[in-house]
Amino acid sequence: MKTNTRIILICSGKGGVGKTTLTANLGIALARQGLKTAVLDADFGLRNLDLLLGLENRIVYTAQEVLEESCRLDQALVKHKKEPNLALLPAGNPRMLEWIKPDDMQRIASMLSEQFEYVLIDCPAGVEDGFKNAVSAAKEAIVVTNPEVSAVRDADRVIGLLNTHGISPVQLVLNRVRPKMIASQEMLSVDDVTDILSLPLLGLVLEDEQVIVSTNRGEPLTLNGTNSPAARCYSNIARRMQGEEIPLIDPSKEGSGIRDKFRRLMQTKIF
Amino acid sequence: MTDNQLEKQTIKLPSCRKADWKNSLPLTINKLRPGVIDLDCRDWLLGCRELKQLNLLFQQAGIKIDIIKSNITETIISASALGYQTYLNLEQSDDFSSELGRNQLRLKNNSDVFFHQETLRAGEHLEIEGDVLLLGDVNPGARISARGNVMIWGRLRGIAHAGKDGDNSAKIIALQLRPLQLRIANEVARGPKEAPEPGLAEEAYLDSGKIVITPASTKPFKAE
Repeated sequence: MKTNTRIILICSGKGGVGKTTLTANLGIALARQGLKTAVLDADFGLRNLDLLLGLENRIVYTAQEVLEESCRLDQALVKHKKEPNLALLPAGNPRMLEWIKPDDMQRIASMLSEQFEYVLIDCPAGVEDGFKNAVSAAKEAIVVTNPEVSAVRDADRVIGLLNTHGISPVQLVLNRVRPKMIASQEMLSVDDVTDILSLPLLGLVLEDEQVIVSTNRGEPLTLNGTNSPAARCYSNIARRMQGEEIPLIDPSKEGSGIRDKFRRLMQTKIF
Repeated sequence: MTDNQLEKQTIKLPSCRKADWKNSLPLTINKLRPGVIDLDCRDWLLGCRELKQLNLLFQQAGIKIDIIKSNITETIISASALGYQTYLNLEQSDDFSSELGRNQLRLKNNSDVFFHQETLRAGEHLEIEGDVLLLGDVNPGARISARGNVMIWGRLRGIAHAGKDGDNSAKIIALQLRPLQLRIANEVARGPKEAPEPGLAEEAYLDSGKIVITPASTKPFKAE
């Protein structure tokens, strides 16, 4: 087992905050940096990491067969067609949820860590068995949350559980940030969230319609190097994970680029 | 290591009524050999700054403070915050019962103060038989309850319950008191809507059956 493999759990507690999207985009972004990366779908009940990566039709074997030893790990791994450094280990069928144990997850993770530098585990929502299985395999964690009271509350709960499992470091990604709503104080600000969660902030991701488009197409934003706001945020996060120091986006300054200034000027009545 | 143990002695500061440690301590230190000591601060109310000063004095003489003892909870809090091992002298010395005891929290007799150093996160519940001193925040969705007083060196944003077995004299104190809910004995109150002034510690107690919040005072806890 490579000791320097980073096995990172991506979790949130609440569903729908962007765990799977972050996993897919970070996976691609890390692979684009030339790092051998595996993404592991631990959401056995409702798997959809394969959808986001556009790999659904290429799955032959799953983690289930690997654990039953009816196939080899590299048979089950699905290489991404455009980004050969990235591989997906798909989740088995939903019934697998009933028998899989923390030991099984640890076995999968240690198998993956022999071949890869990064293993990203897409954690299911909730804090029940699925979460406990996923957490047992991870060394560090990224908690994803939205600037909403309920998402922050669930994230707080999850951070408490991560601490009791001895996961460290735990970092925070604040997803779906809307600078305008923060400016008008309709949304929790970045400070409000970090104030409660008191975790190091790994990155902000701006709200971006392109995310929906890319999800439906099965092509993560970071894949085609678009310059959409969310894509920039995701690749910044990936570079920060590599230890690069990139300043965080300041939501209050976001939208102050030339184009936005011009638009604002047009709206201002001079006469 | 026996050498070390032999040398480890408890240095007591003079009672704050009788002399100022700033004058007498350098003389005491001069008599000491380098090593490790326990420091008993007696009834001195010391903040982080004073403790750092003290530590500097000892450091210059090559002496390391291992455990800080005190009769006063505030001193213990400051020492814990600086990372020292602490020990609260529960049996009170003679020179202590005087008017000088006024500035300190009066703890329930025979009760232990439980220290907990970690933020309580949503869903967590800390329950203590006695007084509790939390070094950290109580986040929204978390609960802290104690048979005696609840003291929070941090922000209270969840639920706190003091005197959970019906002690009406129990209090809740926090550096920033903006709870979802406060409970003292069998009374329940919703937290205030508006945020408190920053930097103003507040306390909540029962006043004729109602929970009231006032700026934390230096007056003692009601003696039994």
